[in-house]
Amino acid sequence: MRKLALLVVAILAITLSGRSQVQSTPAGSAPATNPGGYFPIGPVPGYGPTPAVKNATDPFINNPVALAAGRRLFVWYNCYGCHGGRGGGGMGPSLRDRTWIYGSTDADIYNSIAEGRGKGMPAWGLKIPQDQIWQLVAYIKSMRTPQEPDKP
Amino acid sequence: MPRDARKMPAILIAVAIFAMGAWSRNRREPRAPRAPRAAQQAPASQSGGAFNFVSPLPNGEWTEPAGDLANTRYSPLNQITNQNVKNMKMIAQLAIGIPHGFEGQPLVVNNTMYVVTPYPNDVIAYNLKELNGPIEWEYNPHPDPVAIGHACCDTVNRGAAYADGKIVFQSLDNTVIALDAKAGKEDWSTKTGSPDVGQTSTNAAIIVKGKVYVGNSGGELGVRGKLTCLDLATGKILWTAYSQGPDSDVLIGPNFHPFYKKDQGANLGESTWPKDQWKHGGGTIWGWISYDPETNLIFYGTGNPGVWNPDQRAGDNKWSCTIFARDADTGYARWAYQGEPHDEYDYDEIMENVLIDMNWKGRMRKLLIHPGRTGFVLVLDRETGELLSAQKFVDSTNWASGYDLQTGLPEYNPAKHTHQGVVTTDICPSSTGAKEFVPSAVSPRTGYMYIPAHNTCMDYEGLPANYIAGTPYLGANVKMYPGPGGYQGLFEAWDLKTEKPVWSIKDPLFPVYSGVLATAGDVVFYGTMEGWFRAVDARTGQILWQYKTPSGIVGDPITYTGPDGHQYVAIYSGIGGWMGAADFPDISLDDPTAALGITGAMQKIKQYTSPGANVFIFGL
Repeated sequence: MRKLALLVVAILAITLSGRSQVQSTPAGSAPATNPGGYFPIGPVPGYGPTPAVKNATDPFINNPVALAAGRRLFVWYNCYGCHGGRGGGGMGPSLRDRTWIYGSTDADIYNSIAEGRGKGMPAWGLKIPQDQIWQLVAYIKSMRTPQEPDKP
Repeated sequence: MPRDARKMPAILIAVAIFAMGAWSRNRREPRAPRAPRAAQQAPASQSGGAFNFVSPLPNGEWTEPAGDLANTRYSPLNQITNQNVKNMKMIAQLAIGIPHGFEGQPLVVNNTMYVVTPYPNDVIAYNLKELNGPIEWEYNPHPDPVAIGHACCDTVNRGAAYADGKIVFQSLDNTVIALDAKAGKEDWSTKTGSPDVGQTSTNAAIIVKGKVYVGNSGGELGVRGKLTCLDLATGKILWTAYSQGPDSDVLIGPNFHPFYKKDQGANLGESTWPKDQWKHGGGTIWGWISYDPETNLIFYGTGNPGVWNPDQRAGDNKWSCTIFARDADTGYARWAYQGEPHDEYDYDEIMENVLIDMNWKGRMRKLLIHPGRTGFVLVLDRETGELLSAQKFVDSTNWASGYDLQTGLPEYNPAKHTHQGVVTTDICPSSTGAKEFVPSAVSPRTGYMYIPAHNTCMDYEGLPANYIAGTPYLGANVKMYPGPGGYQGLFEAWDLKTEKPVWSIKDPLFPVYSGVLATAGDVVFYGTMEGWFRAVDARTGQILWQYKTPSGIVGDPITYTGPDGHQYVAIYSGIGGWMGAADFPDISLDDPTAALGITGAMQKIKQYTSPGANVFIFGL
């Protein structure tokens, strides 16, 4: 119960500060374990508004320069080795399909990259700048859209 | 799904089917009681006809992955013949409930069948006396789930080995585990690596004279290949032989005598790489291990060199794509033959090395037969490592025209070299090979090797790759597709004497991704990726019987004598593995480079079969 209360407080705090916190926190000064801020992946228990941060949007969505950068990083950081050359999956799940194991919002995808996942997804949050993670999110979200760079 | 829930249908089906099977069998005349088990082991020097065996055959039981230690996958059981196999019926279907590639094969020891599942690598002991009763036991190793996402080609396992009352296998997270075969309790477990840095283990252990031999996986994640030898009694690691690095790591000493000049010299495992590249040099050992009791040598092949982009690793990249002969006790190498220096295609040489003694061009020789991903059947003298022959077994093979027997080197096709930033098109075979790891079988009654082959080709482009521990170290864009003629599967009888195919069965849709079993009843068994399990006339290639299992077959058939003295055949049905992964819901077929490039060759798989794992048992 105590943990739940803390969680709600934390969510509210993030909600109040909104998206700007996500973008403006310099990588070095954020808490070491959670540089991107806290985003709920599952449904939030109890009544009340859904925290806005869950819907934090990627500043780079549909930005062609950022999409190209995201594509380049997708190869550079070896993402393609697991998730397929164009995100179709392999050792890791497809990113081109409509199934999102850990949530489909920009923030959910950001968190999967930053925190890593238990079946082998590495946690990149301590290794690469936040902007690069958002560029990767933007590229992933562009898959199967007309904006997708370097289409299959 | 909770385990209890997923077992219920299995048990119900097994009850129903076994009841039917038992009823029909009971109507026949009783057979003579079977010989005592001890008498069933055939002598090692059994003369078979076209060739001689070098290791005892699996007569009644199945205790090693290939049945015997020489990897012949030949059984002397002959109740099921090319005359009566048409009457074969399904006896049991045991549902496993794990929708992943069900590679490898069960063991049968003392009227118990032992099955190792894909991750989470549960081991289930079925009582063959009472298939419709409760299982004997189940063991759950709970491997580290990080290994799931670090296994290159699905979360597969290629089986266990049995000796001295122990079942020994590897879980995906690099743990070698020995279980008490009777009680299912863990006897010992030994860690040999960490999945956090990309190491996994899928290879089937073999056991020889109180020693366990296991290889590792992870050639796509910058892992260093190694063979580990453990003490069967305690699980203590006795020695480790790496696939690259200084000679002291590779276990190369004064008794190392490679036949060819290209393989001779000091510390080649280090000097044939750019500085420090060997530390991520692949050469993993995820295929099959053989043993020759007479020379006391173990034989195995190593996988592709680390990073698929060849331009990042100038040199021969020893000892990747190499066949090793090692002293089974000390681990020191006797000889090595690198079939393909500086691999440019991901042609792992981990395929089975079949050991037989045969009259070779007028003289009895100790042979090692290696049908490779490369599309060539390599025949070596297993005492010296001399390449005696290399003949194409799949016509479309075009990366090389043959091998120079004087130098031991392939004769490359200059148009098919691969490089960084260059798309080389129409390379045959594809990285998955003219044949995958799935093992062939030989029969002395015909003198044929039965090869599960592919006719798949590819485009290959090297990409610059950074080594980041725990991520793939791939460096290639690969797209595969059906080869010339459009068909992809080829089940081929290869005459070991004339070195030519005698007959073949073409599968228009998919590569043959199952192992093979040859029997003294002149019946050969194999499966297809659509899920057909077939019995074929060993001499003519006529399909005598087939049964459609619910999922694609990527496992290896075995045969054994049941508690009633009758011969049975067992096979896993459960699509997956590298090519079979295209059937999984989390693979998108519109990305031709998904799953390391196989989707272009597997576009139709979802129309023909679905994931799901079952053990099938058949009998007359």
